[in-house]
Amino acid sequence: MEFEIPKMSAALPEMFVLGMACLILVIDLFLTDKNRIITYLLAQATLVGAAIASLGYQFGSPEIAFNGSFIRDAMGDTLKVFIYLSVFVVFLYSRSYLQARNLFRGEFFVLGLFGVLGMMIMVSAHSLLTLYLGLELLSLSMYALVAMNRDSSYSSEAAMKYFVLGALASGMLLYGMSMLYGVTGSLELSQISAGVATAGAGNMVLVFGLVFTVVGLAFKLGAVPFHMWVPDVYHGSPTAVTVYIGSAPKIAAFAMVMRLLVDGLEGLQEHWQGMLVILAILSLALGNITAIAQTNIKRMLAYSTIAHVGYLLLGVLSGSDSGYASAMFYTIVYALMSLGGFGMIMLLSRTGFEADRLDDFKGLNERSPWFAFMMLILMFSMAGVPVFLGFWAKLSVLSAVVEAEMVWLAAVAVVFSIIGAFYYLRVVKLMYFDKPEDNTPIDSEFDVRVMLSANSLAILVLGLFPGALMSLCVNAFAL
Amino acid sequence: MTLLSFNIPVVVLLPFVGAIAAAWVSRYSRLASAWAATIITLLAMAFLAPAAGLPFQGETLIQSWSWIPGIGLTFSFRLDGLALLFALLILAIGLLVIGYARYYLSPKDCMGRFFAYLLMFMGSMLGVVLSENLIQLVVFWELTSLTSFLLISYWRHRQDARLGARMALAITGAGGLALLAGVMLLGHVVGSYNLTDVLAAGDRVRASELYLPVLVLILIGVFTKSAQFPFHFWLPHAMAAPTPVSAYLHSATMVKAGIFLLARFFPVLSGTPEWSWIVSSAGLITLVIGAYIALFQHDLKGLLAYSTISHLGLITLLFGFGTQLAAVAAIFHIINHATFKASLFMVAGIIDHETGTRDMRRINGLFSYMPHTAVLAMIAAAAMAGVPLLNGFLSKEMFFQQTITASQVSGWAWAIPALVLIAAIFSVAYSLRFIHDVFFNGKPVDLPKTPHEPPRFMKIPVDLLVIICLAVGIIPMFTVAPVLHVAVAGTLQASPPEYSLAIWHGINLPLIMSILALAGGALVYTARKRLFAWHDASVARWDARIVFNAILGSLDRFAVGVTRVFDKGSLQNAAVWVIVTALTAGFIGWMGISAPLLGARELLPVDGVSLAVLAVMMAASLMTAVLHRRRLVSLLMLGVVGLVVSLVFVKFSAPDLALTQLSVEVVTVVLLLLALYFLPQSTPRERDKVRIGRDIAISVLAGAGVAVLTMGVLTRELTPISDYFLLNAVPGGGGTNVVNVILVDFRGTDTLGEIVVLALAGLGIYAMLRGMKLPAPDRDSQGRLWSSDNHPEIMRTHTRLLFPLMLMIAVYIFLRGHNLPGGGFIAGLIAAVALIVQYLANGIAWTSKRLRFDMHWVIGLGLLAATATGLVAMGLGYPFLTSTFTYLDWPVVGKFEVASAIAFDLGVFLVVVGATVLSLVELGKLSDSSHKAEQQKRRTEVR
Repeated sequence: MEFEIPKMSAALPEMFVLGMACLILVIDLFLTDKNRIITYLLAQATLVGAAIASLGYQFGSPEIAFNGSFIRDAMGDTLKVFIYLSVFVVFLYSRSYLQARNLFRGEFFVLGLFGVLGMMIMVSAHSLLTLYLGLELLSLSMYALVAMNRDSSYSSEAAMKYFVLGALASGMLLYGMSMLYGVTGSLELSQISAGVATAGAGNMVLVFGLVFTVVGLAFKLGAVPFHMWVPDVYHGSPTAVTVYIGSAPKIAAFAMVMRLLVDGLEGLQEHWQGMLVILAILSLALGNITAIAQTNIKRMLAYSTIAHVGYLLLGVLSGSDSGYASAMFYTIVYALMSLGGFGMIMLLSRTGFEADRLDDFKGLNERSPWFAFMMLILMFSMAGVPVFLGFWAKLSVLSAVVEAEMVWLAAVAVVFSIIGAFYYLRVVKLMYFDKPEDNTPIDSEFDVRVMLSANSLAILVLGLFPGALMSLCVNAFAL
Repeated sequence: MTLLSFNIPVVVLLPFVGAIAAAWVSRYSRLASAWAATIITLLAMAFLAPAAGLPFQGETLIQSWSWIPGIGLTFSFRLDGLALLFALLILAIGLLVIGYARYYLSPKDCMGRFFAYLLMFMGSMLGVVLSENLIQLVVFWELTSLTSFLLISYWRHRQDARLGARMALAITGAGGLALLAGVMLLGHVVGSYNLTDVLAAGDRVRASELYLPVLVLILIGVFTKSAQFPFHFWLPHAMAAPTPVSAYLHSATMVKAGIFLLARFFPVLSGTPEWSWIVSSAGLITLVIGAYIALFQHDLKGLLAYSTISHLGLITLLFGFGTQLAAVAAIFHIINHATFKASLFMVAGIIDHETGTRDMRRINGLFSYMPHTAVLAMIAAAAMAGVPLLNGFLSKEMFFQQTITASQVSGWAWAIPALVLIAAIFSVAYSLRFIHDVFFNGKPVDLPKTPHEPPRFMKIPVDLLVIICLAVGIIPMFTVAPVLHVAVAGTLQASPPEYSLAIWHGINLPLIMSILALAGGALVYTARKRLFAWHDASVARWDARIVFNAILGSLDRFAVGVTRVFDKGSLQNAAVWVIVTALTAGFIGWMGISAPLLGARELLPVDGVSLAVLAVMMAASLMTAVLHRRRLVSLLMLGVVGLVVSLVFVKFSAPDLALTQLSVEVVTVVLLLLALYFLPQSTPRERDKVRIGRDIAISVLAGAGVAVLTMGVLTRELTPISDYFLLNAVPGGGGTNVVNVILVDFRGTDTLGEIVVLALAGLGIYAMLRGMKLPAPDRDSQGRLWSSDNHPEIMRTHTRLLFPLMLMIAVYIFLRGHNLPGGGFIAGLIAAVALIVQYLANGIAWTSKRLRFDMHWVIGLGLLAATATGLVAMGLGYPFLTSTFTYLDWPVVGKFEVASAIAFDLGVFLVVVGATVLSLVELGKLSDSSHKAEQQKRRTEVR
């Protein structure tokens, strides 16, 4: 039988990244530790190239390719560009960190790139199969990355837990997907959407399918009560891996939620809205409250991530285009802030020392007023203090919730963000008011300093002029 | 483009730019930053000046730019009477404070930082009062919280400064978020965030069902900022700030921001019972408590702090009355309080500066040391007490008049003037204390420094402020009247009501109240010694800060508790949560749907054999769980489950699946056996009975849930996709075995991908295990030694006989695959099992010597064959992997169908054989070598 030739052009960035990742994998075999920097440079070049390829589409009108299992649209292009950007920054922060710990191996970059490919596929998935494929490609890369530091029992334990729970969640997701497929008879999202319309929102099997799908999604996002892996994985991984996991994959997870719940199952909105409300409230509550009790800043940021996921879900569950745009805005903003936060830990760390306790930030202002100020920007932004980018993100999400006539939910979110401000401000207090515990000068490399400053200043500058970024998100849903 | 089209944002942003300049120039000269700040403030005034006339002509100036169109936010400013009044207060008092601070700060203090913070704060305040867009207003509002935090903590080496700053930020920051929520709701009700629209939509807002939440949220913002009860406690702790900061923040600006907002939203939110009750009770309570506590403060600034709280309560109470005349009085008192309180703070600063202490028990009789300052202080304090011919008297009279009006509303309302009178008495008493205790009352006690008059320029700001107090108090019509008029018009968004600024209204109730207050205050002051003793013994220990700390403490403890419950780091715990939540969610979903669980499809009949087989499967599953501690037995039980599953496939006419299941089952059990060898022989016993019970319950529920769900799915009529393949298998792929046709033809590319993965997995396992050494246990779980006879003779002989037979079956299965159950994958597994059996029975060394081909080659050839099949199709001009078939007539065998896909299937076969054998043999070598090492060791021990 004959086959159609798929429209390859829509997946040009994906194919480029795949090709380059394989190439780098092979090239790395022939490199010695001395010139391993080539691997790093090639990986960065790959991300730049992919960005050029994605921007080449100019956020144009959607194209569906590969027999309906792949879609390229403005939302996808925007998210992909931010994925490249995040991972680029991650690689840049990680280079010297990994070198100082004898972890500067080709695997980090190759797995990172395969993860990027997985995220790209998730972002552009238009069928359950592609979605799952991308998800597993990303997850497997992350499991391996978490376990990368094989000598650390923390890392191994975290990777083990992540893997077991991740497999459980994947199983549930697949179970749910199989039921969706059973009812609608298709794996393709637009046909599932049509199938849902025919079957009606009261279809029992569909609802069960939805339940399991949402469980799977919630796990990948790290929403309460499926969040247990987040603190352990964030804490246990080398910080270079934590910053990877904490940034770009959230963007991909957002895309997955959008593709599945909005593109595929919008007909079941009345059902998933309620589930997301519960997940969002639980995440906001537990994330913000538990973060207060943490003494390790990686764990604290892990719980803060959980809380941020709650906000992200608020945007999605408001169920309007402006709500989706606000959630997208929130996700991108969160990824930028998270990069900076973990980047700061890597900046303060040095050979044989991991600056991951809150106490390590004591008196940072005396050691380096500039970076204390950068961290202040990051913390204020995460807390949602005005003029920093994080404020606009919270504002847009909250206004979407208010528009959706869920005033009480907005009030709950505000209450928890007040509680949340508490622990971010504690970091500021430690940096500015306390005496430093050690006075070792900060000896990070030039490129990390520049990038970290740029990262934090971007949050300040974009906070003053958030219009462009926000209209980018709004336009993604305007087509 | 005239100046009037863009000057307001320049006024607001100039201080921010100036802050950078002030910080920068301090590198060159200490005083340069003070000059820079002065120039910036004057410049801001100059930019404001051209527009200042407009409100007097009844015009409102609005300047607007698009900012964030995505959420309907504009960058827009508004200048009306109210905004003008506040902007003037902020700039004028700001200028005086800058001049004062230049002399106040000691050489140790960093000037650049101070003036940078001060300018930033000034810019934020200007932003609050001049904003047209509400979200923008909230942004500047939060900026005032942040910059005041920086100012209060300016002396960061001091513990009290840090704590005070943190508390101020926590309270006002949280209030700001509440305000944000309130403003968002307000914008939702009105449909716009622009003040012009909001102010015009008062009726709609008051009628809205969201009115109460809007009101409460906005009032929380107001009360936290303006230190109203019950959020008043942060203000006294913020007194740790340098005195110029207190003079600026706590007289005219920061705390007035809340009051400003009350005035701003007065036309929109006031006039309802909710407004009256909440605002006036908060104001009244604050007024009384503040005045009372102020008297008992021994710290000079503490007294002023509580008096500020009390006066803010007074203004709030006036707004709470909700009448237009009350609003006039409120605005008037805002102006007056700003002037006398700023001068009093500055005097306190001078005294602190000159004597080195602020304790009123030690500073006495300063009149002889600094008569000029003393006179200034006395006038300002008298204005605060409400002595005639001073500005405080005028607004207080208006205030008394309003309380009397309000007292006529209901039977109990007489309490309002009564309480107000009490507060006024205390107010007079603490003003008296400020004068008498500090400047008279004997000699100073043990001062760190000998006091004398401060530098002249430090007094000039105070001079100016006191002159204003006098001018307003004596000739109000020629000084404050126009400003008051325009500000009231701006507040009410209408022309002001009739009111009189005359000093003498004849003998009326307010005047009597004033006289009573002055006399009562003097009495209370004379009785102060006894009052202090009583206060210290009873009330002094009450401090709202205790509540604040208790809340923070309990939040902390709560957080630790929550962490302990949820963040155990236990995998089982996490898994339980995931499963239980999924169960609950499924159950809720089921409850929420009215549709029946089971479909209409009829159940198939059940026969005895099937039942028995299923019983075996259930028993085996159960045994797997129950005997999980004996891993070998448990694994065998798992194998039984797998075998029964393959029987189920047979029953439902899926022989292909059955065959696959069967061979995969065998290979996986072998793999697990090899891996188990290196793991502990038994699992640790779980002793917690509760936990076992819980886990049993969860697993039973989960199993039941899945079973019910499966029933639900199976009893529904669903259109299977198999019809398409059944119809097209023969015409499209030339085979009757649909499964095989799908694998090698319809989904050929998928299969190609899969075998690549399989090949890589095999190579990966090989690479990982090669050269690895693992310590193997030499005893089993019961402590018995492993048998030394690894390869029993009988088994060896029999397996060698079986080998050709098994290979024959593999070839048979492979060849018939396209039409009958079988195919490359299954055949590959069978061949792999045949080879592995040889390795197992004869040992790796023996077998390797005889099986000399390298499995890497087998894998490579397989991939090559599969890919080549695809490429040939391409070479012939068809898309990749297009297949064709023809029928050959073989002698003996007969007509035989040959599809090009068989070459592809051969590739699959080879890869499966190669990868399986490679990985299992590598694992086997691992155990073999370690076993040998063990035996070696044992032998040496025996010797």
